[in-house]
Amino acid sequence: MGASLPPKEANLFKLIVKSYETKQYKKGLKAADAILKKFPDHGETLSMKGLTLNCMDRKTEAYELVRLGVKNDIKSHVCWHVLGLLYRSDREYREAIKCYRNALRIDPDNLEILRDLSLLQAQMRDLSGFVETRQQLLTLKPNHRMNWIGFAVSQHLNANASKAVEILEAYEGTLEDDYPPENELIEHTEMILYKVSLLEESGSFDKALEELHKKEPKIVDKLSYKEQEVSLLSKVGRLEEANKLYRVLLSMNPDNYRYHEGLQKCLGLYSESGQYSSDQIEKLNALYQSLSEQYTRSSAVKRIPLDFLQDENFKEAVAKYIKPLLTKGVPSLFSDLSSLYDHPRKPDILEQLVVEMKHSIGTTGSFPGSDVKEPPSTLLWTLFFLAQHYDRRGQYDVALCKIDEAIAHTPTVIDLYSVKSRIMKHAGDLTAAAALADEARGMDLADRYINSECVKRMLQADQVPLAEKTAVLFTKEGDQLNNLHDMQCMWYDLASGDSYFRQGDLGRALKKFLAVEKHYADISEDQFDFHSYCLRKMTLRSYVDMLKFQDRLHSFPYFHKAAIRAIRCYLKLHDSPKSTAGEDEMSKLAPAQKKKIKKQKKAEARAKKEAESKSEESTASGASKSGKRNVKPVDPDPHGQKLIQVEEPMAEASKYLRLLQKHSPNSLETHLLSFEVNMRKQKFLLAFQAVKQLLKLGAENPDSHRSLVKFFLMTESISAPTTEAEKLRWRVLEAERPSISQLQNKSLMEANKEFLGRHEDSLVHRAAYAEMLYILDPSKKTEAIKIIEDSTNKVVQTNEALGQAREWKLKDCIAVHTLLDTVLLDSQAASRWKSRCAEYFPCSTHFEGKHCSLMPDSVYNSSRKSNENGDTPNHPMGQTELSDGQLEAFKSLSVAT
Amino acid sequence: MEGAEEAGAEIAVDSKDLQQQSKAFDKLTDRVEDRQLDSSRVQSAMASIAASREADLNAKRLREKELASVKINPADVEFIVNELEIEKNVAERTLREHKGDAVAATRQLLSRYPL
Repeated sequence: MGASLPPKEANLFKLIVKSYETKQYKKGLKAADAILKKFPDHGETLSMKGLTLNCMDRKTEAYELVRLGVKNDIKSHVCWHVLGLLYRSDREYREAIKCYRNALRIDPDNLEILRDLSLLQAQMRDLSGFVETRQQLLTLKPNHRMNWIGFAVSQHLNANASKAVEILEAYEGTLEDDYPPENELIEHTEMILYKVSLLEESGSFDKALEELHKKEPKIVDKLSYKEQEVSLLSKVGRLEEANKLYRVLLSMNPDNYRYHEGLQKCLGLYSESGQYSSDQIEKLNALYQSLSEQYTRSSAVKRIPLDFLQDENFKEAVAKYIKPLLTKGVPSLFSDLSSLYDHPRKPDILEQLVVEMKHSIGTTGSFPGSDVKEPPSTLLWTLFFLAQHYDRRGQYDVALCKIDEAIAHTPTVIDLYSVKSRIMKHAGDLTAAAALADEARGMDLADRYINSECVKRMLQADQVPLAEKTAVLFTKEGDQLNNLHDMQCMWYDLASGDSYFRQGDLGRALKKFLAVEKHYADISEDQFDFHSYCLRKMTLRSYVDMLKFQDRLHSFPYFHKAAIRAIRCYLKLHDSPKSTAGEDEMSKLAPAQKKKIKKQKKAEARAKKEAESKSEESTASGASKSGKRNVKPVDPDPHGQKLIQVEEPMAEASKYLRLLQKHSPNSLETHLLSFEVNMRKQKFLLAFQAVKQLLKLGAENPDSHRSLVKFFLMTESISAPTTEAEKLRWRVLEAERPSISQLQNKSLMEANKEFLGRHEDSLVHRAAYAEMLYILDPSKKTEAIKIIEDSTNKVVQTNEALGQAREWKLKDCIAVHTLLDTVLLDSQAASRWKSRCAEYFPCSTHFEGKHCSLMPDSVYNSSRKSNENGDTPNHPMGQTELSDGQLEAFKSLSVAT
Repeated sequence: MEGAEEAGAEIAVDSKDLQQQSKAFDKLTDRVEDRQLDSSRVQSAMASIAASREADLNAKRLREKELASVKINPADVEFIVNELEIEKNVAERTLREHKGDAVAATRQLLSRYPL
């Protein structure tokens, strides 16, 4: 290292390296310049100077200098190492690994390079390479603790937990008998617990338990000790001991549901499916009776019985549970009981119970059978609960009645407007939902939660500029919307992307969805620094958990949603390249008007360009004002205009599709999109694979059926294969077709008919049948429409006094409307469908129901001014009073029962 | 004036928090000397880790040799790579495993998910 330099300069070179390691970059730069004065072509000094500049955000200069360094001294391992570090800092891991390997070819036992290589191998999950590198490091420097730990972890990650245990035991053999010293108790505790978890993972439960007990005096994390012990006791079948230990854990934290689950398992009373025998119910009831006497303040102990109790016992217990919460005024009560609505009978019992309560409080001021007078707010919270209850059951008209009663009772409670907003959203009036959420926001301008909820409702109503203005009330000054991006605010990206997509602005939509993808890429990169940090800190269990979490990072819902929507954008771009509705309309206009509009568009484009360049200038000037060199790069494509210029949308879509296929293989939507993308790419075998996956996951799903029919219709209509590749493909499909049970000995028309036969009562299945009937034979369009229009919206769960809930969902009816209008191309049928659905969904703006905000008399009509901060100076807390007129308008949203 | 002072105080607090935050982040990547272990104990520990690699490598080598002797059609490789969008070496290996039968290899790949 710098061997060719004279002693003075060699010392300066060491100073550069040390300055780099201790992040004193200016000092390092000074030393480098001093050397280069005398030896301007010295490769290693040029490289180190470049690396130092890279850490000072002068990347372009850095690359120039480092590449020059390698060129001048191609046999120096330092130069190659430095180039690798540079690539690493730009996340070019494969290039970095190449550089490190070149460096190691020159200096095979260089510890620094091996260490850096191992970090990259861990990051890239090159696990066999990681094992080799860690082993080499251990062989070279066996008296470094970190090398033992690193080698053990690498074996664990490479699916060799028992080998990892061996290594840790050998490592323990190097320690003094009185180890650990006081200041390393925590590190040693973590090492022991990691070792025990390795034994557990490899199935050596008895050994793990033995090791845990033997090492107890040295373990300072007593909670982890107990939790690991109870897990092992359960696994070796020592249930009595596990039972006792779970009770100890419950005494430490009686609201931990995992302890409750563990205790139930020990007693043979746990049910994965939620189904319990009467004997189990009896024993569980006795158990929780006993626990409730012991832990009088625990919510979990009171709440868990509601899951297993049934009928009269359930009614009694739930009445006892909710009464104090209604009296106290707990707004989250409905959310707390939400999981009970998956049970067939409990919703009815709840409804009956709460309706009784409401009636009793309304007439006597007390709960049924009680003489104690309730405060006035109890009626309010009972109505609040009932509104959410009916909303959940799809009876939006009744829900609106209840929430309006509650608002009439106490118009200053913010939660009431939030819930009404949600009801309106479910009922199909997104404009009203946004207005109500804004009303709620106006009542507490300091609460970011209701601000965010309002922003989301505005985006759902496609009021993007208003949503942006509202969101920036809580963002950092000066950065505004960029702050949401910087803080990885994914719900905002998704909601605004959805809105742009609905409005046909694919550029902005794609921009937002890809922003979410970038957040996930950043999260993936965030693990890099912890590969060495966690080995040093010995937090090995958390480290391994983090690595496993990172391995399935792209399976999380936000990524899934963003990728699906991005692919849908690319499909649209592929199907109608660079055309917009505006251009379509343009072609219909007279030439003079055409000219006029063109001129106008030019002027608009010019103004837009000027505005953008101004914003860029202001960004740059802002940076210079702050005096920082660390300037954020200006976004070259702020509105996604370049994104929609993509040459091959299907190739871009395939990138995200591969991630979905790997991480969300159980999602029907993944394979639907795979089918759509691959059909367009003419990759028929991949499209076929998607169809097979769809049939495996949900053969009776309407979309699976559509894909099946479309695939075979397409492949059957292709002319006889001519090329070798076509023949081979045909032979593969011929060999596979018998495995498709839906098509055995049947034509597509017959298969479609049988599908209808199996699902005659389902609207979404009838719609799929009709669509496929039309596609298979366009002359049967009338028949297809008839199938749809003859569908019946049956009543479910009749409660005569309180209106009816029907089977059809709003979003399914909207989908059918779209089908009639854009696939079957019958505007009259679409119009009839719209009128019919307006009856079923009177609040729906899509169907223009008589109670929706599009009606002229609606309080939410678009001519109404939005309620903005500061618009009502007489009421600094926002609107806290309702005039008589507004009250009447609110009432008009109700439906007479 | 009072409002301005409050705003100033808020900014000061904010920048202080940011300073602490960035200091903590910087610490994450600090260079720290690794702890040293007792040399004599280390040597005996190293001896206890014996490599049992040889047998594994031999078995693997034999398998690879077996596969390498299978003849495959380059057009079939190209077909699978193109149709199923997989790496060439994966396509080759699968063909060898199915003794050069392109239909069987393709069907097996179709049943593997993801590819």
